[in-house]
Amino acid sequence: MTAPTAARSFPVVETAVLRVAVAGNPNSGKSTLINSLAGTRLHVGNWPGVTVEKKEAALEHRGQRIALIDLPGTYSLSPYTEEEIIARDFLVHDRPDIIVDVVDATNLERNLYLTLQLLELGIPVIVALNIYDEAEKKGYKIDVKAMEAALGVTVVPTVATRKTGMNDLLEAVTGAIAKGSRSLPRSQSYGEDIEAAVKMLTAGIVDRHPALVERYPRRWLALKLMEGDRRVLAEANISGVDSLMKDAVGHLREAHGEDLESLMADARYSLAAGLTREVLQRPSVRKTEMTEKIDRVVLNRFLGIPIFFAAMWFVFKMTFDLSAPFADWLDGAINGPLTRWIEASTNLLHGPDWLVSLMTKGVIAGVGSVLVFVPVIFAMMFFITFLEGSGYMARAAFVMDRAMHSMGLHGKSFIPMILGFGCNVPAIYATRTLENPRDKALTALLIPLMSCGARLPVYILFVGAFFSAQSGTVLWSLYVMGIVLAVLMGILFKRTLFRGESPMFIMELPPYRMPSGRSLAIHTWEKGKHFLIKAGTYILAVSVLVWFLLNLPWGVENKKDSYLGKVGSAIAPVFAPLGFGNWEASSSLIAGVIAKEIVVGTMGEIYVRETEKKPEGPAPTFFEDLREIGTSFASAGREAFTNVISTVGITSLKAEEKEEEATLRSVVAKSFTPLSAYAFMAFVLLYMPCVVAAAAFKHEFGTWKWFGVAFVYQTILAWSVAFIVYQGGKLFGIGG
Amino acid sequence: MNLAMLKPGEKGRIAKMGAIGPLRRRLMDMGVLVGEEITVEKVAPLGDPIEITVKNYNLSLRKKEAEGILLEDPK
Repeated sequence: MTAPTAARSFPVVETAVLRVAVAGNPNSGKSTLINSLAGTRLHVGNWPGVTVEKKEAALEHRGQRIALIDLPGTYSLSPYTEEEIIARDFLVHDRPDIIVDVVDATNLERNLYLTLQLLELGIPVIVALNIYDEAEKKGYKIDVKAMEAALGVTVVPTVATRKTGMNDLLEAVTGAIAKGSRSLPRSQSYGEDIEAAVKMLTAGIVDRHPALVERYPRRWLALKLMEGDRRVLAEANISGVDSLMKDAVGHLREAHGEDLESLMADARYSLAAGLTREVLQRPSVRKTEMTEKIDRVVLNRFLGIPIFFAAMWFVFKMTFDLSAPFADWLDGAINGPLTRWIEASTNLLHGPDWLVSLMTKGVIAGVGSVLVFVPVIFAMMFFITFLEGSGYMARAAFVMDRAMHSMGLHGKSFIPMILGFGCNVPAIYATRTLENPRDKALTALLIPLMSCGARLPVYILFVGAFFSAQSGTVLWSLYVMGIVLAVLMGILFKRTLFRGESPMFIMELPPYRMPSGRSLAIHTWEKGKHFLIKAGTYILAVSVLVWFLLNLPWGVENKKDSYLGKVGSAIAPVFAPLGFGNWEASSSLIAGVIAKEIVVGTMGEIYVRETEKKPEGPAPTFFEDLREIGTSFASAGREAFTNVISTVGITSLKAEEKEEEATLRSVVAKSFTPLSAYAFMAFVLLYMPCVVAAAAFKHEFGTWKWFGVAFVYQTILAWSVAFIVYQGGKLFGIGG
Repeated sequence: MNLAMLKPGEKGRIAKMGAIGPLRRRLMDMGVLVGEEITVEKVAPLGDPIEITVKNYNLSLRKKEAEGILLEDPK
């Protein structure tokens, strides 16, 4: 073994913040470990410019301030995947003070492969030998002392799910920094041939390109040049690299062929295998493991798909049934008491009528439309995190990949798509389970074609008015239309926007594990919080804008004279070939941008012009209101509970019809024909995603680009389909 | 003989990696290397992808990706 690779001296600063990067394989329990270390101090965001999640936390241990930075889970540090590029760029260019490498003790060899690459960086490394309990249960005996000696780093056995070893880990971190450069890992030898070439390359670089030595760890740079790492070659832009390479690796190329990347992978893996043999003793008789037993059923040729659909049905029902009562409760509390309070207090301050209206119908309604999504996002994140953490998500992808791959998607795309039938918003967020940016974007683009719950009130209104005899068939046809178009658009996108090789599938099927409650809570909470803050702002703004459109100029008697009506009239001719070229329909469609069910509400306001106020009893007092909020929350909880128990029937399809709806239906029946009604429904199904979905697109992808694509293609698609329905129908003389 | 041709329960030793570029590197990073013994565990219900064990853990890949992994001829 050679001396420590002191590529550069490390400034030992006790007072400054210690920057600790946490690296490790996916499924190594890295996420749980971070959560255990950080607790409530965790901050979740995104790596700049990409959709990969970035977690950070500020801690203090023995007076030493520590900044934890979670790197994306990776198997290697190749230049090919987004996650790996983020991890290595951070390690190489941002140079953390210490790397904590989370190693899965039950899968030592493959995890050590990454460890070896981390050791090449010349940064102190501490190994957290995680999932240690499971390794022990399997009868694995790991010689921690021997591992420390071989790697030249501190190895701390941990069980992140039970917070075991967390203090030892922090001790090791602060201890390593006290030791300064003596804590640098031993550099591992990849064999004489390779080491000789590394030596020559390093000397050549130091000699001819001293500036590069400042930017990269020497040994790492030399190894990457040998591998022919395209990113380093492009970044470093070394002149004369060919002659340098020829001298240093010429003989290696002669002996092993051009492909030195494979040579390096082999060298690292044989070292990892050797280390594993040295430190790990496996029991000679292997028991059949729980995971194997479960998979025999779950991935069974005949049972696999039914089980998958049962699981999906369960998750779908749970997500929407569990959240619906709370969403209704929020809705009730906001539109009832809260609106009354705001109204009363604005009146008290002698605010003008328009202000009262802006506050209640614009701002509060906007806040309400944000808040009602929070329960469903909480519920969805909870179940998605559970599916991922338990290991079932990978199985779901395995079972469904064939079907999804035919439309250019990944097996994991299926779950977000299914959630889309409930609500597109959590579905777009659920695309985060897809690692590849291309898979993710394509899935999100197709989700809006899944007919969400908010479109149902529109269908119910029109089906009730025109197709009550065949209501089931007509409703069904709309859902099927969405699915068929998603398949067609998927194939189209695959050939146009996403041309080229489809991303690879290579995916680990990790052992089944119980996700820790803490991880579930953190992910659920973080997502809900971010939605409120980030998406909330946009939604509120649009809601206020629509209020202005609908109510200005202030005091308009006839909605046709409002700005919304004027805009509606202006664009109405566009819809003429579709059969509904009147200002009422187009204005409703504009308002429906907030949420598609608002199409019905707006139609109600426009068509049913009875503005006489409903006779109301005396307004409830403040305390009555408070009590009402409390009791209705309790009953929402009860309802959620009963929903969970009796997951039968769709709760969102409540058949309580108000008088106004009947009136609206009869008015609609006069203004549309069956054919134009069907064209209108198709248009509502397909036209641009609602503002909340738009905000989800922006939030999840960090750019408006994909929402823009969805907006353009859906607008074209909606118009074309409605056109074909209406004109085609007329041609055949149906219901025209 | 390539990996995609094995049936569940059958084993093989990798003779050559036919895949190129990122796919090759990814496979190697996952421990799918020349000389490694691979067992095919399962085929997905719809016929694709397949599940294999390599280096003592489970990995799934599409048949198209498995076709590039050439095996030694059975003795």
